[in-house]
This record gives sequence, C-alpha cells and structure tokens, in this order.
Amino acid sequence: MAAPTVERAEESEDSYESRQVAQLDGTNLIRVGARPGLFRYIREIWSFRHFLYYDSHSRVSTANSTDSLGRLWMILNPLLMGAAYFFVFGMLLNTGRGIDNFIGYLIIGVFTFRFFTTAVSGGAGSIAGNQKVVQAFNFPRACLVISSTVRELFSSVPMFFVMGLLVLTIGDIKLDGAESIPTTLTWHWLLFFPCIALALMVMLGWSLALARAVNAHTDVKHLISFGTRILFYTSAVFFSPDRWSNIGADWLVTVMNLNPLYCVLDIIRHAWLYDGFADPARWIVLASWAVGSMIIGFLIFWQGEESYGKER
Amino acid sequence: MSTSTPYVPRRVSRSSESELIAQDLAIEFDDHDFSEDGSWDEYPLTQQSPVVRTVDPKNVCLVVDDASMTYRVRSSNEYKHSQGRFTRAVKRITGAGWTEVPALSNLSFIVNRGESVGVIGTNGSGKSTLIKLLTGKVRPTSGEVYASSTPVMLGVNAALVKDISGKENIRLGCLAMGLSPEQADAKYDQIVEISGLSDALDMPLKTYSSGMASRLQFAIATSVDPDILLIDEALNTGDAQFRARTKKRLDEVRAQAGCVFLVSHSLGTIKQMCTRVIWIEQGELLADGDPQWVCQQYEEYTAHKSNDRLRSAKVVYERTRLQLNPIQVDFTDGTRPKKAATSSIS
Repeated sequence: MAAPTVERAEESEDSYESRQVAQLDGTNLIRVGARPGLFRYIREIWSFRHFLYYDSHSRVSTANSTDSLGRLWMILNPLLMGAAYFFVFGMLLNTGRGIDNFIGYLIIGVFTFRFFTTAVSGGAGSIAGNQKVVQAFNFPRACLVISSTVRELFSSVPMFFVMGLLVLTIGDIKLDGAESIPTTLTWHWLLFFPCIALALMVMLGWSLALARAVNAHTDVKHLISFGTRILFYTSAVFFSPDRWSNIGADWLVTVMNLNPLYCVLDIIRHAWLYDGFADPARWIVLASWAVGSMIIGFLIFWQGEESYGKER
Repeated sequence: MSTSTPYVPRRVSRSSESELIAQDLAIEFDDHDFSEDGSWDEYPLTQQSPVVRTVDPKNVCLVVDDASMTYRVRSSNEYKHSQGRFTRAVKRITGAGWTEVPALSNLSFIVNRGESVGVIGTNGSGKSTLIKLLTGKVRPTSGEVYASSTPVMLGVNAALVKDISGKENIRLGCLAMGLSPEQADAKYDQIVEISGLSDALDMPLKTYSSGMASRLQFAIATSVDPDILLIDEALNTGDAQFRARTKKRLDEVRAQAGCVFLVSHSLGTIKQMCTRVIWIEQGELLADGDPQWVCQQYEEYTAHKSNDRLRSAKVVYERTRLQLNPIQVDFTDGTRPKKAATSSIS
C-alpha cells in the first residue's frame, strides 16, 4: 500500500542546513544506458551476431506451433490465397486477360508479396513484442529487428521451393485470352537470389524505421496494415501494369515502376516465366531502394536506441 | 500495511487545483506582500554554505545525479480532470488522457567500490523504478545515472522466450549477454547444475511452472560475473533446496562484484549483507547510512503505519529526514561523462 501523501505535503527546509557537494572527476565513468556512436553500434551488432543468428534460428521452428498442421501453414496459406485470388481476379474479374502464364504470374505475386509483408510487419513489431527480452538483457536492439527479418527468410525457404515447383509444373497452363510460354529451368532462375537479397535490404530498412515508430506509438500498427493494402494494389500482384497505361493513367505506371516490390515481382517473373531479363530500370530502382532504406532505417532506429526499454 | 486508507496513486499536482488554491490565498493575503510564493523564504538565513568534499574517482562505482522519474500512464478516466467540454469529449472518445505519476524525485547518491547497498522502502515507494534507472533500461526524466560499467540486474521477473525449450533459452540467454558461443558452451553445465532442471530442459518454456522458470532465469543471469550487481528481492522465492543451491552461487557472484545493490523487504537479509542502506519513501531519499540505524527507523515507521498511527509515523519520518545529508554531485569541469559503455558484458 502506498502510504498516503501526508509526509510529502509539508516540505520542510531543515534539510538545507547540512547539504553537501561531492566533487568528482567523471572521466572514467560512463552514462548508463547511453547510446553508442554509430560505428561502435555497428561493431556491437557484429559482436552479437551469434545471438542474432541463434535467435532467428531457434524461433523458426516454433512458429505456428499451436496450429495442428504446424509449419505446413507456411505453404498452405499462400496456396489458398493464390487459389482465392485466382478465383476472384482470374475467373470472375478476369484481370489476367492478356497476361501470358497468368497462373505462374499470380503464384509469384502472391507468394512473394506475402513474404515481403509478413517480414516487414513482423520486424516492425519485434521491439514492442519482445519487451521481456529487451528488459532482461543489454544488447543492441537492432539485433531483434534484424533477427526477425532473417527469421522470416529462413522460414520462407520451403515456401519459395513450393513456389518454384508450382511455377514449373502448373505455371504455364494455357488460359483463355493469353499465350502460354513453357516454363523451363534455366540459369535465369538464379537472378532470384540477388533480387531477394536486395528485397531483404528494403524490408530490413523499413522494419527498422517502423519498429521505432510502433514502439513509440502502438497506433502505427493499424497504419501498417493499411499501407500493406496500398502496396498490394500498386505492386501488380494479380494484374498487369498495362491495365493502367491502357486507360491513360500513366502516373500510376510511374508509381508502380518506383515501387520496390513491383520491381522484385517483375524481375522474378521475367526470370522464371518468360526466361529473360527485366528492364534494367527495375534493378536500379530496387537497388537504390535497398541502399536508401537500409541507411535511413538504420539511422532512424539507432537514434531511438535509448527509448526501447521504456514501458507503456 | 495500512488497510483503512484507500490506495491513492501519487500524481503531479494538477495545475488547475493549485491555481485555485493560489487564487484563494492571493485573495486572503493580498495585502501581505511577503507570501506571494514564499521565494525569499526558500533559503533561510540559517543555511550554511554547503560542504564541498572531493571524491576519489578511482573508487566510484556508481553516481546517481539528481535523477527524477515521472511516468506517463494512460488512464481511462483521466478525461474527467480536463477542463473544457471539447477536450473532455475528445479525450473520452480516444480513451486517451495521460496521468503523470512521479515515481522518483531528485535522487542523488554516490556508491563506492566495495560497498553493498541495501534499498528499502514501502511498496510503491520507487524501488523498482530506481533499479530500472540503474540498469539503464529507462532513462530518467531528468538527471542522469553514471557508472564505471553497465550494472547488471539479477532478477527472476524478466522472462525468457516462452516458445523455445529450456536448453535453447540457456544458449540464447548466454548469447544475449554477450558471451561467445564457446563461452556459452562452457557455461552450459554450470547453468544446468544451478537450475537443477536437467529433466525438463527439452520442453518448451511455457510448460514450466513459474518456480522452474525463475530458477532457470536465475541460473542464466548468474552465469556472468558483473562488476556492478543489482539483486532483486524476488530471488528469495523458491523452495528450500533451490535456495540452498543459489546461495552459494550468489555469494560467489557477490564476492567478485565491485559493488552490490540489494532490493529487499527482508530487513534481516539487508542487515546481514549490506554495509549501507538507502531508504526511499514516496520517491524521495529519506535515509542513507548505517544499516542498523536505518532499518530500525524503517521498522518503527512501518509498525506505526500498519497500526494506523499516522502521526507517530510522521514523527519517525521527520526524525529520520533530519539526519539526512543530501548530496549534490558536481563533476569537475568538462568531465561529466557522456560516453556509452564500451561493451555490454564480457
């Protein structure tokens, strides 16, 4: 029980009489909880790399552990989503008209989009959701965000396998109103890896910036799901950007060309479905997003390093 | 514990109320020009000039310099306090409204190497807040905390990751404290031994009882040897068998630590272990000194409180306060520390 505040009410001056001043040289002391300089911070993250790796690794295996189908959901989920989008957009709204290999197109879109958004929203919540670990240990907090992104990559490996298999087997089924180009496994498929690496950098940058925002104001979480929707419709997940240029909305095409996720999808689609290269502009846009968001996101996160232990 | 007085959280006095009071006073005492705000009375003529004492920087482990902490807490009925219909309505709809709860005010003290400091105080007096400030998890609202290295908290409240097994938690905890994988492997057996949980280590942590989880947390936390050690009272939990096992390890850790803080309600433990006791009451430093004396005052105070003898309690409070020599930290020019810890632990 807190004592009633009777004693505080009367501030007596008597203690002024014996005030003493302690003078000391603070050169060897540190400020507790101070944020290290930028380069020191990066070095510290590096020295905690084992923690980072172990944290992401150990938690992959436990994701979905409460569902009876367990990790199968990582594959089932995008599969069912793909089927639903195929039904709604492919069959009912017919957005796939004129897109060659529409089934493969849709599969790549849905799977990759899902990877991207779960990683970003997971990373964004990684500080606010791990308060107990943050309270218990002293380590550079960026480790948690990085580990969350790495974890998403680990857990998506089987999903990407399924995506590749599906594209190879049913991706080139011929639909009405479009050509079918047989999909074959060529070296072009390897372009997937640098592309995903750049995508990871974009995701990490965004996660870092959002993690700070979510930790400061939980309300941001609602905006994230809203932003995800916007991203979904501007990334050409289930339609072709030609739709916009056909109706004369060229500014929307520009927006899409500057959208990193659209660049990722376009690069993978060209490599996997049409056995070729995407427009080099896609690579340039994606790479600048990757570098830019990494630097800006990291700076934003580092600036708030001292605020992450605060409880709400 | 006083049962008859309802729990009233301390809060920053509302400007509206104090303004009203001030207005009342102003009307009453308008013609006495001395009592405007009492400012000239703040430093009575009896005040002596402060005693300046130089502290040897080599011995200093921890410096708390005028640290205050005010929590901003959301409270659902806070809107009732705001004036104006509009702000009230807005606050009510958003469910917002923040209450400011002062937890600590203007705390200053210096701890030297080799000291064991006990921290006592009634519930809600700010002990836990002080610990949070000392470990650097929270930055004080004003003032700062300086130390020779980052203080490490040994407590059982901090939970680990629930979904992964005890084994993985041990490794994760070790790595999170900055140990290398090799060091973590080397510590593993010791941690298992202290926790005494060898059978349950493959099960996920959420299947553990709270006692088991705290044993594991304790074992992980004590696997490093920190220089500045904070021990939470909750370590006294656990069955007799576990307590016997932990006591040995705790003594070892304590022995090598530069200085130790012990937060406890058990005055016996404090008197036995500490060379100095800090009593915090309602967010303010009330006493700082000899364990025997401070504990005696504290016992008397709580005895009065629990029997609802408020006046007697206040006498003890004032009496203790008179003995306090408040300290003011003054760094020699340009040496106020700014830098961060070189490395968390290693």
